Amino acid sequence: MIEVKDLQFSYNKNEFIKEINFKVEKGMIFGFLGPSGAGKSTLQKILTGLITNYKGHAIVNGVECKHHTNAFYENIGVDFEFPTLYEKLTARENLKFFASLYTHQTRSIDQLLESVGLQNDADKKVSDYSKGMKSRLNFIKALINDPDILFLDEPTSGLDPTNSRMMKDLILLEKNKGKTIILTTHNMEDATELCDQVAFIINGQICAIDSPQNLILSHGAKQVTYTYEDNGFKTANCLLQQISDDERLHQLMQQNKILSIHSSEPTLNDIFIELTGRTLL
Amino acid sequence: MRMIHLIKGDIVFQIKYGFYFLYVVFTVLYAFVLVILPETWQETVASIMIYSDPAAMGLFFMGAIILFEKSQRVLNSLAVSPIHISEYILSKIISLALISEIVAMILAVISHHQNLIMVFIGTLLSSFIFSLLGLIVSTKIHSLNQFILWTVPVEILCFVPPLASIFIENQYLMVYPMTHCLSLINGKSQNDLLSILIVVIMLVCLWKIAVYMTKKMWKSVGGVHL
Repeated sequence: MIEVKDLQFSYNKNEFIKEINFKVEKGMIFGFLGPSGAGKSTLQKILTGLITNYKGHAIVNGVECKHHTNAFYENIGVDFEFPTLYEKLTARENLKFFASLYTHQTRSIDQLLESVGLQNDADKKVSDYSKGMKSRLNFIKALINDPDILFLDEPTSGLDPTNSRMMKDLILLEKNKGKTIILTTHNMEDATELCDQVAFIINGQICAIDSPQNLILSHGAKQVTYTYEDNGFKTANCLLQQISDDERLHQLMQQNKILSIHSSEPTLNDIFIELTGRTLL
Repeated sequence: MRMIHLIKGDIVFQIKYGFYFLYVVFTVLYAFVLVILPETWQETVASIMIYSDPAAMGLFFMGAIILFEKSQRVLNSLAVSPIHISEYILSKIISLALISEIVAMILAVISHHQNLIMVFIGTLLSSFIFSLLGLIVSTKIHSLNQFILWTVPVEILCFVPPLASIFIENQYLMVYPMTHCLSLINGKSQNDLLSILIVVIMLVCLWKIAVYMTKKMWKSVGGVHL
């Protein structure tokens, strides 16, 4: 569905995107993770045909992005991080207008509005919407042309837990319909839950690419943290795989001095920091 | 079909932002001024009015439209939609020309203008030119202040020579395309076809620049900010 081969791009003399290679199969959710200025935005611009003077190959839906025609956008949906809506128009008018730009049959506006719980606010001006409502409307606007490929940028940003859950369920529903989704996010929990594969991007290069589970298993180990009483509260750690070697833990258990015991595994964020030496913020 | 939807979308946008209401008020005001003027003045004053406002409205309102679209980030969505840049520009200049023509024809009829067809053609061509100029300027700007500043030289170039040509007979002024726009509107062109040809040549040049500038503007949007 998407194939990027030996991709290079620079805004000036310095190379910004350096030899990027990856493949995204149909029906996959692929996540881009990286700090600000890492090159994710540029990569998305290349994949959506907005930057065409790159070297190498960026093939989306069988089309080399630099040679795309406007029909290329018939099967692409982009949900930007910030609302891209006519504020003076109602939600329905916005969706109707954007639907009219496509030549093929578009999705039912009422069903889309209902899917994000906006059916009762469909005829309200977008300027009267809350931030969360705008985000939800923005999301369904990207679905209006029933695209094969969806580019989602921070889709859960600014949403309360209930709406965030709803949005994630909708993304998974699109995946189940066979849509290919490119997700750009800072939210590691979202990436772990939604993505089949993630790519860590830093300084215009991909430094790791795998499924979130594989990254966690291959780069991290489960840990056990326990607290105990010994002239006050104390805390100690050991690796889960080496728990039988921890003599202090054994002694404390025999003496019934353990106050609490927890096991934990590294998060995708820990792996990101370990691999890149940087945080996502 | 998409073109019709785009024009309809632009008209709805202009209605919602009060462009039509504003021009109802202006038309009533202009009509009142024309009615109280002596009959011998009416045609000339109406021509100046048509040229300097309804025909030229695109210069000012295109800036407002593009600034709204930029601030609401709608351009990001349009840049990744199947619409062609030419469709985007055409729908804007046609929708603005519609207001220009309605107001111009009302003023021409009130002033008992002798040549309504030339008023129509002159207003249409002038409106396209001013809208394209407004678009070209607005592709580079990010605030209303910047827009006002940048339109000042355009206003001087577009208004001073044609208006001067009404009062001063000068051959150099007659070479200037904007003078031909006014000549067509006031029905004083010595050669209608030649005037139309000169204006159309200017229009084609501006169209090419507008397409190039809009393409550049679209390419600068559409990315994520992370």
